[in-house]
Amino acid sequence: MIEHNPLYQAMISAASKTMEEMAFMEVMEHFDRSYEIPTEELVWTSLLINDPVQGEIRLAMSKTLLSGLTCNIFALDEEDVTQLQRDDIINELLNTIAGLFMTNLLKDNQEYRIGLPELGMDELPEVDSDTIVWKLMTDDENPLQIFVSGASLVALNEK
Amino acid sequence: MKRIIIADDSTTARMFIKRCLQIIGLGDAEIIEAEHGKEALAAAKAQPADLLLTDLNMPVMDGETLVKWVKASPKLGDLPVVVITSAGNPAKEAQLLELGAHRVLNKPVSPPVMMEALADFLDE
Repeated sequence: MIEHNPLYQAMISAASKTMEEMAFMEVMEHFDRSYEIPTEELVWTSLLINDPVQGEIRLAMSKTLLSGLTCNIFALDEEDVTQLQRDDIINELLNTIAGLFMTNLLKDNQEYRIGLPELGMDELPEVDSDTIVWKLMTDDENPLQIFVSGASLVALNEK
Repeated sequence: MKRIIIADDSTTARMFIKRCLQIIGLGDAEIIEAEHGKEALAAAKAQPADLLLTDLNMPVMDGETLVKWVKASPKLGDLPVVVITSAGNPAKEAQLLELGAHRVLNKPVSPPVMMEALADFLDE
């Protein structure tokens, strides 16, 4: 049996700390729970949670937000930012969020293993009953969404 | 001048670490960047380094394997290794310290945390 803290709050705390400390931005719940990032504006990445539960975490945001973050973090003008830098930023943000999420979630020093981030190439996978979604936005109202899926991981939300 | 190796597959993470080093007074150090443990190990063997900062989750050779290789090497055994990871937890930290890591820090790492972790190194 896995001893854990509240799952929803574990993610809010992980996302807030990561965005504040890496991007100097505050995040909050999006005012419109039905908001979807338009496909042409969407960029996302995912990584696997391997142990002690199995699942996947996806981080999605608008291209506008990712470009802004990349400019801020690398201290570059938009025309000097490369696609590689954008890809690296979103992957590292997810990597950090996932680590903090698992640390926040698991009690009693339990070990966990996470995989490496991989950029999503197509549309986001459909949200099913084994997926929890956090619809967030930055203080300048740019959307940021986090999806956690996998039956054994999502089941922790109900216990 | 100190020679510091930073091993992380993320350019963003390496940039954050370099920024921290600058802020805590190591801006004039020679920084060697490596994208994985194997590259970091080769850099450490090629020329003596004063400090190795490494991520844990990396392709090709991960940070834990890198710590094992460094600590098992008669030539590199004394090289201080600080692990900076997003996959850290107390159990993993204890395991890495047992293997010979100097410190284990969690991402996102801040300059005050880095300064405290490298206090001995900065005093030298």
